[in-house]
Amino acid sequence: MIKNYFRVALRNLWRNKIFSGINIAGLSVGLACCMLILLYLKDEVSFDRFHKNQAQIYRIISQISSPDGKVNKNGITGMMPGPEFKASIPEIESFVRLQGNGYTIKHNSEIYDQPVLVVDDNFFSVFSFPLVEGSAANAFSDMHNVVLTEATAKKYFGNKKAVGQVLNLKNGDKFEPFVVSAVAKNIPQNSSIQFEMLVPMKFVQSQNNDTEWINFFLNTFVVLKPGTDWQKVAAKFDKVFEVKAADQIKQAAEKYNFKEKISFGLQPLLDIHLSTEYTAQNGLDKASNPVYSYILSGIAIFILLIACINFINLTVSRSLKRAKEIGIRKVVGGQRKQLVMQFLGESMILSLISFVLALVLVFLILPVFNSLANKSLAFSYLADAPLIIGYIALFLITGLLAGFYPAMVLSGFNPVQTLYGRQRFTGKNYLSKGMVVFQFSLACLLIIATIVIYSQFNYLMKFDLGYNVKNVGRVNVGNIDKEKLALFGNELMKNPAIEKVTANQGGRWGTIAQVNNGTDISFDFKIIDHNYFPLFEIPIVQGRNFSPDLASDTAEGAIVNQSFVEKAGWKNPIGEKVDFFYNKKKYTVIGVIRDYHYQSLAEKIQPQLFITNPAYKYGDVFIKFKPASIASVQPYIAATFKNFFPVQPYQFNSKELDTASQYESELKWKQMITFSAILTIFISCIGLFGLATFAAEKRTKEIGIRKVLGASIPVIVRTLSTDFLKLVLLSTLIASPVAWWVMNKWLDNYPYRIQITWWVFGLTILLATGIALLTISYQAIRAAMANPVNSLKTE
Amino acid sequence: MIKLEHISKWVTTAGLRTFLLKDINLTINEGEFLSIMGPSGSGKSTLLNVIGMLDDANEGEYNFLGQPIHTLKEKQRSQLYKQYIGFVFQAYHLIDELTVYENIETPLLYQDTKSAERKAMVADILDRFNIVGKKDLFPSQLSGGQQQLVGIARALISSPKLILADEPTGNLNSKQGEEIMDLFRKLNEEDGVTIIQVTHSEKNAGYGNRIIHLLDGRIEQPR
Repeated sequence: MIKNYFRVALRNLWRNKIFSGINIAGLSVGLACCMLILLYLKDEVSFDRFHKNQAQIYRIISQISSPDGKVNKNGITGMMPGPEFKASIPEIESFVRLQGNGYTIKHNSEIYDQPVLVVDDNFFSVFSFPLVEGSAANAFSDMHNVVLTEATAKKYFGNKKAVGQVLNLKNGDKFEPFVVSAVAKNIPQNSSIQFEMLVPMKFVQSQNNDTEWINFFLNTFVVLKPGTDWQKVAAKFDKVFEVKAADQIKQAAEKYNFKEKISFGLQPLLDIHLSTEYTAQNGLDKASNPVYSYILSGIAIFILLIACINFINLTVSRSLKRAKEIGIRKVVGGQRKQLVMQFLGESMILSLISFVLALVLVFLILPVFNSLANKSLAFSYLADAPLIIGYIALFLITGLLAGFYPAMVLSGFNPVQTLYGRQRFTGKNYLSKGMVVFQFSLACLLIIATIVIYSQFNYLMKFDLGYNVKNVGRVNVGNIDKEKLALFGNELMKNPAIEKVTANQGGRWGTIAQVNNGTDISFDFKIIDHNYFPLFEIPIVQGRNFSPDLASDTAEGAIVNQSFVEKAGWKNPIGEKVDFFYNKKKYTVIGVIRDYHYQSLAEKIQPQLFITNPAYKYGDVFIKFKPASIASVQPYIAATFKNFFPVQPYQFNSKELDTASQYESELKWKQMITFSAILTIFISCIGLFGLATFAAEKRTKEIGIRKVLGASIPVIVRTLSTDFLKLVLLSTLIASPVAWWVMNKWLDNYPYRIQITWWVFGLTILLATGIALLTISYQAIRAAMANPVNSLKTE
Repeated sequence: MIKLEHISKWVTTAGLRTFLLKDINLTINEGEFLSIMGPSGSGKSTLLNVIGMLDDANEGEYNFLGQPIHTLKEKQRSQLYKQYIGFVFQAYHLIDELTVYENIETPLLYQDTKSAERKAMVADILDRFNIVGKKDLFPSQLSGGQQQLVGIARALISSPKLILADEPTGNLNSKQGEEIMDLFRKLNEEDGVTIIQVTHSEKNAGYGNRIIHLLDGRIEQPR
């Protein structure tokens, strides 16, 4: 019996190649998408689960609430909470702190920039990172020990044994030898803690023992005793803090006018990866926004759903051709139940073929998907029981979802009607039409989303940032003073292709100061030199630029941006004072620059203040060169750099690319949505193609009669196409308001955004109907061209 | 074997009842070879479908082998006709996707006959009808007469007591038609199978031992 069904099913699939092709193509793409998402989700929820103690490990988090009600949530702390909380709260078994950092390393006269993780000695007893060389107990027996990963060991020592070897780490102005004490297995990619090299915390503490409570720069993890209620432990933190840090809180209030309230809490280790409040930072990595998971899953499910709809629609519209078979099977004794089983079996076989194909597809597109989703998933992950069960469930659900309704419809046919050719599709077939509308609404939604995201992305990329980053290179020189910068700059300028050189202190700094005799104002502040504004072509709208010849300028001159003026409420900014009360320094405003977008356009321009005070050092040097001369100036810059900074790793960055890299997340959205829009349209269209094929077949006789009566080919094509075009048009009408709402929500995230204009919808309607028309017209034209004699004779 | 009493069937269009069958009373005994004749639209096929339990009457009583069919449920009915009735159609109605062998085998599949038994039965009937050489062909590769032979073989595979044939020779040339009718006569006389056929041709009707004429859903001259 089953063998017979199987044979018939395969023969049916083989004979109806269009039908089978469409369904297999659609279902396998849909299934492949869902498989990828399952892989992705599995990876997301597997983060950090490999630590043996994971259930007992928590991270200390902090909240800083300002008097105006603003709450700043942080996953980080200073040095103090770990040891102090452990000393006062018995439920805490141990603590370990880790901080991301970087060291300059000299090895065999080569200079490297090496990211490191600074950790407490018990790192390996808290976290489960297996060692391949050395022992966990002796990993940090000396403060001049380092631990490498296999990959890092290979980078420095090739295939030689790494333990016992020496690396020179730059500390201040000199290099100090560190002995490799252990080598860890490479870190699994689903770990929030990622490192290439570990440096002991006690070494960092020996250089600078930071006992400040009000200082947040590292991650502190605690291990709680088994069975402890972590919320109860967290509740004890604030009391300990208030007692132990009482002096510091008082001092901060007096000295810095610090009015914020600090409170501490705990966060389970497993929550870190997908947390949007307390993210992975300062040594933790790979934080991921769960929104991506939701959106990716939603899209994958929709694509599979659309493929299932294709199957249902095509099977039902093809059923007229199978009506006779069904009638015969019933007449010779087949019961409805048996027929349902047969049809379900057929859809299962189809799903099975698609399933196998989908596995192949997953294998092929995994690399693309990895780059899109920022993952390094491997096909081998599939060897995992829950995942395999998930896939089998996916297969069964797909087979049932697609096969059940058609099986019920087909098996319900009345044999007398089918055998005597009286079978008609009664009613208007709203279900099938509804499903086509549903498919195309989704497709249109994604088309609109794609257009909007593209426009917004373009808008951001072409936005006039208010300064010019073209032909500007950036090199990091470590820490240099004004004199050294001047020497380096002069040397660079000897190359005629180099136009200007300037510098600023590396990183982004924010601070607080007082204006108008006692009003607090917070702002971004930058240490620059006098060439900064000319190089970036930032116009000075009031006052003047810094002059290198005026001692007063360097000592106490400041330039602010327009936002600063606005926030300070100054009518006449020149000559106003900015009081850095905590180090008793006053600056006088000598100029105002036009606002420029120094950060991503996802942020509003903040008040900015620039000084050239020589007390600060420079880190980034900017070099402006003549257009199209980058190839010739680069070697020159590199050579000069080597001369000046022999122990500093050299890396040349294009400022233009720096700026573009701020939009990585937008770029990812763009790729993701475009990808899914194309898939959705493709699958919807092959479904429509199938429907059009069957509709043309069903109406062969009608078309024959119309032609005999004198209808022209265009008229017939129009007759055949309008039915479907109406549905597609209806879909665009349904999709437009929904898309408008959703995309406006998305755009609301951007302070600088486009408005969605009518042409977006116009273009969508044009695209959707155009693609649909192309799809249908092939069948319509073919049917219209057919010789009526053939179609009429068969009846 | 079959007893129809006051059987009527109608369709209602725009509030008007159009009778397909009107007050049919008919008794058919086991071993009979009955021919139903009448012009197009007189209700011949409808009557045959009612007898074959493919269609319901709106009114009247139908007894088949002593069972009141009009009171039975769908499932019980299909159980009955699976066991006792074989159908032969004018358009053969073979399943295009199945080979000759598989077409003949299908009713046995639905009766859950064991595989070995099935093989023996199908081989036996292929042999009897002289179509062993055609068993792996598809219907489209056969002539009309051969297709109808397969149709009859399929109807006979489960050894029914009653064969219902709706214009079995309607699509065949006269020679092929004669062969089929000879086969029916042989089945009736030698195997004792009751046969009811619908036909347009007096000649074919002559093969049977009783003829009824239908006109506008009524039996005209019961003999």
